[in-house]
Amino acid sequence: MNNGEIKAWVDLLAHAEDMKGRHLRELFESEENRFDGLSFTAENFLLDLSKQRITKQTLSQLTALAEQQSLGEWIEKLFTGEQVNVSERRSALHTALRLPKENKLKVNGQMVTNDVHASLEKMESLVKQVQQGQWRGFDGRPIRSIVNIGVGGSNLGPLMACDALEQYTPLESKLLDVHFVSSMDGSELEKLLPWLEPATTLFIIASKTFTTIDTLANANTAREWLLKASGKPVELINQHHFIAATGNVERAEKWGVPEKNQLLFWDWVGGRYSLWSVIGLPIALKVGMENFRDILKGAHAMDVHFRETSFDKNLPVLLGLIGVWNINFLNIHAHTILPYDGRLAHLPSYLQQLEMESNGKSVNGKGERLNYRTCPVLWGEVGSNAQHAFYQLLHQGTELVMCDFITAALRYDGEGEELQLQHQLSLANCLAQSRLLALGDESASDLSYQHYDGNQPSTTIMLDELTPETFGGLIALYEHKVFVQSVIWEINPFDQWGVEKGKKVASSLLAEFESNVSDYLDSSTQGLIQRVQAQRGQHEN
Amino acid sequence: MKINVYGSGLSAWVAAACLAKVGNDVAICEMSPTEQQELNKISTVRDEPNLLQQLEQQIDSGRLVRHSQRVLPEAEIHWLAFQPEQQNKAEGVMDRLSQADQYGLLVVNQCNFAVGATLDLQGRLGEKGYVVYIPDNLQEGSAIQGFSHPNRIILGIDQDEALAKARALLRPFTTGLDALQLMNSREAEFTKFAITGMLAIRLGYVNELANLADQLGVDISVVQEGMGADARIGAHYLSPGCGFGGQNFHAYVAKFSGIFQQQQQQSLLKAVVGANEVQKELPFRKLWQHFQGNLQSKVVAIWGCSFKPGTASIDNAPSIKIINALIAQGVQVNIHDPEAVPNLKKYYTNVGLIRYFKTPMEAVDGADALLLVTEWPLYWSPDYAQLAEVMKERLIIDGRNIFDKQILKQYAFYYYGVGR
Repeated sequence: MNNGEIKAWVDLLAHAEDMKGRHLRELFESEENRFDGLSFTAENFLLDLSKQRITKQTLSQLTALAEQQSLGEWIEKLFTGEQVNVSERRSALHTALRLPKENKLKVNGQMVTNDVHASLEKMESLVKQVQQGQWRGFDGRPIRSIVNIGVGGSNLGPLMACDALEQYTPLESKLLDVHFVSSMDGSELEKLLPWLEPATTLFIIASKTFTTIDTLANANTAREWLLKASGKPVELINQHHFIAATGNVERAEKWGVPEKNQLLFWDWVGGRYSLWSVIGLPIALKVGMENFRDILKGAHAMDVHFRETSFDKNLPVLLGLIGVWNINFLNIHAHTILPYDGRLAHLPSYLQQLEMESNGKSVNGKGERLNYRTCPVLWGEVGSNAQHAFYQLLHQGTELVMCDFITAALRYDGEGEELQLQHQLSLANCLAQSRLLALGDESASDLSYQHYDGNQPSTTIMLDELTPETFGGLIALYEHKVFVQSVIWEINPFDQWGVEKGKKVASSLLAEFESNVSDYLDSSTQGLIQRVQAQRGQHEN
Repeated sequence: MKINVYGSGLSAWVAAACLAKVGNDVAICEMSPTEQQELNKISTVRDEPNLLQQLEQQIDSGRLVRHSQRVLPEAEIHWLAFQPEQQNKAEGVMDRLSQADQYGLLVVNQCNFAVGATLDLQGRLGEKGYVVYIPDNLQEGSAIQGFSHPNRIILGIDQDEALAKARALLRPFTTGLDALQLMNSREAEFTKFAITGMLAIRLGYVNELANLADQLGVDISVVQEGMGADARIGAHYLSPGCGFGGQNFHAYVAKFSGIFQQQQQQSLLKAVVGANEVQKELPFRKLWQHFQGNLQSKVVAIWGCSFKPGTASIDNAPSIKIINALIAQGVQVNIHDPEAVPNLKKYYTNVGLIRYFKTPMEAVDGADALLLVTEWPLYWSPDYAQLAEVMKERLIIDGRNIFDKQILKQYAFYYYGVGR
């Protein structure tokens, strides 16, 4: 897009000039029912945009931009399996992963829904076997510990879901403990293994490509640990202690995971969009298959909402457009995610990957450089904890930051009074912070260091309650928000060439530590490698 | 004496039969759906040796009636033999009796409720009579013998006035008695739990020793003799095996373990109950290890499925855990048991992988392994030569250490015992 040619864009620039001078306090004062006009509800969600620096006119101009960028057509392309991932010539069909069995979807002659449900059913039978204590380790005892080895999309989603939905653990999963390890240096594994019993531990190797060096290094360490503890042949260990969740059968097979222990997904599922696939195995083991299917159900409901609702009431569209408004028209390039709910502690890091890996791009789908900003820097933390960490910058720093406050209206139903009070305390803090950020300090103080400017925009997403279904819906909401922005910016959100390149450079450096450093390398890299070599030499002497 | 017995478990039926046999007029108030069933259709009755005949004899004699036929209105003795979870029923009986126009009642509480339960029942009964506690020492398989000829009786009694009547009731069963021990009801209740828990812990420890002996290559049966010869230990309850089961023993131990937990104490017993569940699968694990985890399509024979010899009951039996584990691995299971087959057929409906056989030898014909789970006498001395001939693989896993290891070796069997 040459944004100078897009009328809606130009109009928005003009409108923004108008809006830049207006403070949120003033907007609230001038519109009595601002909340009613700028908050939206659907599918057990409330999206409050009234603390964004917008008016109704802003929203209608933003939806006009969406129309001009053919968002509706793109949504259809996404859902019907067109190759929206142009650089890799693939569809991005994460929405097909949550289609009910009866909604048949055919892509290129392939009945996708059938494949999806066959894979889910294989996963279900495996989950049942483990839950019933009939998946056996090398000495015949039932598996009790599950360790998911994966990184990025094969780690963040399942980890977040297991943590968020722990209260829904069914009786048959109570005896199981589920762990996650990801770091390539083995730190997590080294800490975890002494607490586990080899004979009753099952490892899930979660890797779409089955080439991710981080994951394979951890898997090799895990296998070595099992071989040492058991004294059994490697085939037996592979057969009873490793499951692969992967898109690459050949590689999984070659590593040693037998066919019956392989759960498959497809190249049309992006890693950061894969928690709905067999990558969700740890979720299903932890919260049960029924709840896992409810997560899919909630996401599917959001899919339907996204596909069928007009833009002016469409939650993912509105959420995406608000981001575009803040980034491209109000020049805000920092975005913080603030769940006021400890169960969603991993949501910020999940969204870091989802948003920054998807839309951290500076060329369009045709490979042309962009002359406008795209994905902002994004970070976050459980809100009430972040209050004691980085809120100071939000309140009185020099940076403009847009915030997403995420909370559930209800919690601890039927539990202790003190816990319910704690929830209310958390809600009060959530609302107080977004209020203070928006309005600033009205009482004029002589002391400049006590002054709060305010006018930091925020969105509040309020779930009725955090359940498997609303959890699925929340994640789908953000997935589609990211897609909406990619359409406006004309970028491909489904590739990650920067990440791929980093992996290649790393593997080419690996050998450099063993001998004389190649002099084609830059002096910094050479110097650092030589330092390591020198330290090793000293250590050996 | 006129006695009402309450409950539908084995203890209730045994008490009713034995009390009627010595001349009392007994009515059994089952207070459960069994009231509608014929005696020979009630598995609890059918599974206990001699019980059905005894009950039928007493009914024929007119001394025993079932509640559904005729109530015994002026019973002066009320014998409570409810299951541990039926305390509310016992309380209901007390509430009713407290309304009746009768005094001087004797209530015998034989239920395993909790420490202090007898006093609670007394509180409900009020002035109408006395509640005493006699612990239920029932041993499934020899329950009638145990009730009629006990070695010792513990009587938990809180008011001296109840003693004469209680002694009169128990007189027919006290010949040959080593001791009638009197204590208050809470002490008696505690004693009952303590004994059961001690036996469970002892068995649990023996099993743990056996598993260690396995790993160290020591024969536990030799160790067992050595231990038993020490007067401080004695020879009882020293045989390792693949776990204890049964309705009563298991219920008592679980209940007692629960009391410990309520008092927030670390419970040795809880660990024992947990370890026992693991022990039940031991024969399966030995099989698994022998075949390196490849059990798909193997044929495995099981001898003995009741939770112990002499009963048809499969309640909490190790065999159930083993069969579940085998069918989950796709193993064909050939079963022989002299009495438990009807119960198994009811438990496993439409499981294609299970087949039942009339003789032990038919069950092992063509099998890849034999698992001995319950030590019925007919299994102790099999025709080893024939076994060697008909089995596809010469592999025996002996969950009760009953086979002769030397002979099996001569026939080139792989033999795995429990700690030998």
